Amino acid sequence: MTPASPPLTEGPRRVLLHVGTPKTGTSYLQDVLFRNRELLAEQGLCYPADRFDGHFLAALDLMRLPWGGLETQAIGAWDRLAEQVRACQGTAVVSHEILATASRSQVGRALESLGADDGPDKTEIHVILSVRDLVRQIPAEWQENVKHRSTLSYARFLERIQDPERASRISTWFWGVQEIPDILNRWGHELPPERIHLVTVPPPGAPPGLLWERFSHAFGLAGLDLDLTEERANPSLGVPETALVRRINRAANRVLDPSDYRPLVRELLAHQTLSHRTSSPRLRLPPDVHPWAVDLERSWVEEIEERGYDVVGDVADLLGVPPDDAYADPDSPSERAVAGAAVDAIRALLLENSRLRGVEARLAGELHETRAALERAYLRPSYLLRERVVRKLESTGVGRGAMSVYRRARGRSSRSA
Amino acid sequence: MTGTVAPPDERRAWGWVAHLRSGGTTPWSAWTGPAERAGRFLPGAQQLELLRRLNESAGPSPVPAELADRVLHASAPGRGRPDLELVGAESGSAFGPRPVDPADLPADELVRVASSLLADDVVATGLPVPEGRPLARPWRRHYRLVGDPALADPLRAQLIARGRPPGGARPRIIVLGAPADRMLADAFTARALDCGGPSWAEWVAILAERDQLAPRVDLARTAGVWAERTSPDQVTLVLDPQRVGRLVGVRSGLAVPPPLPAEAVDLARRVAAVLALLVTPPTRAALLRETLAPLLVGAPGPVLGVPEEHRAWLTGRAERMREQLRRAGYPVVGGATGGDSLDGVLPVYATGGVVDVADDGVLGLALAVLLRSARSGPEVIA
Repeated sequence: MTPASPPLTEGPRRVLLHVGTPKTGTSYLQDVLFRNRELLAEQGLCYPADRFDGHFLAALDLMRLPWGGLETQAIGAWDRLAEQVRACQGTAVVSHEILATASRSQVGRALESLGADDGPDKTEIHVILSVRDLVRQIPAEWQENVKHRSTLSYARFLERIQDPERASRISTWFWGVQEIPDILNRWGHELPPERIHLVTVPPPGAPPGLLWERFSHAFGLAGLDLDLTEERANPSLGVPETALVRRINRAANRVLDPSDYRPLVRELLAHQTLSHRTSSPRLRLPPDVHPWAVDLERSWVEEIEERGYDVVGDVADLLGVPPDDAYADPDSPSERAVAGAAVDAIRALLLENSRLRGVEARLAGELHETRAALERAYLRPSYLLRERVVRKLESTGVGRGAMSVYRRARGRSSRSA
Repeated sequence: MTGTVAPPDERRAWGWVAHLRSGGTTPWSAWTGPAERAGRFLPGAQQLELLRRLNESAGPSPVPAELADRVLHASAPGRGRPDLELVGAESGSAFGPRPVDPADLPADELVRVASSLLADDVVATGLPVPEGRPLARPWRRHYRLVGDPALADPLRAQLIARGRPPGGARPRIIVLGAPADRMLADAFTARALDCGGPSWAEWVAILAERDQLAPRVDLARTAGVWAERTSPDQVTLVLDPQRVGRLVGVRSGLAVPPPLPAEAVDLARRVAAVLALLVTPPTRAALLRETLAPLLVGAPGPVLGVPEEHRAWLTGRAERMREQLRRAGYPVVGGATGGDSLDGVLPVYATGGVVDVADDGVLGLALAVLLRSARSGPEVIA
């Protein structure tokens, strides 16, 4: 296990490019890096970001990827990030999991803009990929799809990702961000294996701090006194809760704008309400799909070992755990449990509606006060006189001409619409 | 990487790249000639096939080298299939998507790449230099022209160019409409040239499910807003765009533009999606209307048609709108052959309207516009 950047302040300029994969603790890592960026800068590690999702926006820009109305904020974000990275003297970190799906030409553009081609002074690029077994990744990806308006059943999702043609959008995206050897073919084909680092997510039941230890080692953060408070998380849902969100999607997708879906369904219902129902059965891989996933993972493990990448953790972590006997099918959930989740969802929506009614009443009161103040202003003798003069002038051609000259002199037309 | 000798299959692929760069049109399946590696990586099958189609469309004069280079370095934007390897020239990895014969790629995949290149072209071209606005004629009739965007917006622009800007004291409010199916297609066109969005079929389905007309199609609502803002007796409903001129004191010369064909609208919609990541929304709308749309005017092909399954809904909504307008009592100009009638808002469902836009047609148009843009240069296409 070779840390990607030890020690932070010595050696050539380095960029640690963390390109995935989703659902491997990336949000937590990015949150820690963002909140501690000043302290890290003092140690020679640069995490250039003005906002928590700065690298996400940069990735959207690099890949020209529309994403729920964030496009405007993403304009030019990659070039700005690359410029900040090039300005860093020590080690810089770029991290976002959707970079996993970048094409070779996008990878080429990214590496070039980060200084990988700058002659003798070129930047030393390290690619870091955090990875988790497919046994956990597959259900997690389906759930993430459901939280992004998908109405696809779990069975159809599994069919699509198992289709060797991979022609559907679902499977294209899934394998684009999950197929470890292919991601590394695209991101690492010009790099020696020692500059490609895999951080494996520990198996279920491992000590809670172990994944952070591995991240910390890969990014050269060991020994730094960082604030590790968990502020951002992407909590998972149980089986009946996921089934409920999917039903909501089917009923509301066409009548609920994307800009309302995110705060109301994804945040309020899924993250703030339904994720608290932790006693529900968890989403798992169906037992009949399990052998296929494990075979695939085994071929990945062999490939990774053969290529000689630096593995932080244990490559065997990728083999996943045996199937669970108590499998709960989200396509045929317990209706009683779904009803329970639905009642919780209605309660949350009522509370939110009540809060918004309060806001509405307050704003209506403020508007009323403003109107009253405006009317009092209108009743002033000076205003009434001016109004009479304008009305008189507007009634004749000469007067209208005079008003037109006056308005032009003021630099605006109060009549424009 | 470019200095090492490539395996034979890869050399065949590099030979095809060189062939396409020099204007060749031979399909990959028929290609045999090898060449040495000439880049960091082989371009994807989508990019190579797009260049081959451009070469086919280019005729005797070749595709400009700069455009060929841009095509080979482009990536498909948004979600969809990644850059694919050529069947028979695989890198040897057992991983990643299956290699393809580029001839088998659906047109939609090629349009994805083409729309990204067109978005770059539109941004590089920029906005045309605004023409000087003539002084407003002091004796002009005061008006406001609202309603169907594909009719009202160009007529208003022509009036402004003739020194007749909208506004003034007690203007006549001209609410310009057409049969509801035409207005719906016009509203979708305006939306495509503003912000892109879902496909025509999806958009109509959403409106039908919500039982909601697009705002500028709802003439009763538009007229009501203006009646409240000014006075009901200032509002006139005009259902024949040819008669707008006389109402504003222009005897002749106002031209009503024909609707953009379905394929042109769909191409604009796709380019708009990419532009969203390149420029701000106001600039995007201006670029689509003032830089891209002029390149699409005159494109052949049928216009958009309302899907059969949503016609009953639209007819019902149009009848309700007619009733609302009748109750409001606005004067009506046009709407019936040789006369005036509110029946002019009812849909006519002309035959030949396109419901599902064919990707092949959109691709053909995209190729033509890319070539025209590359040959003309920014200053000419603007």
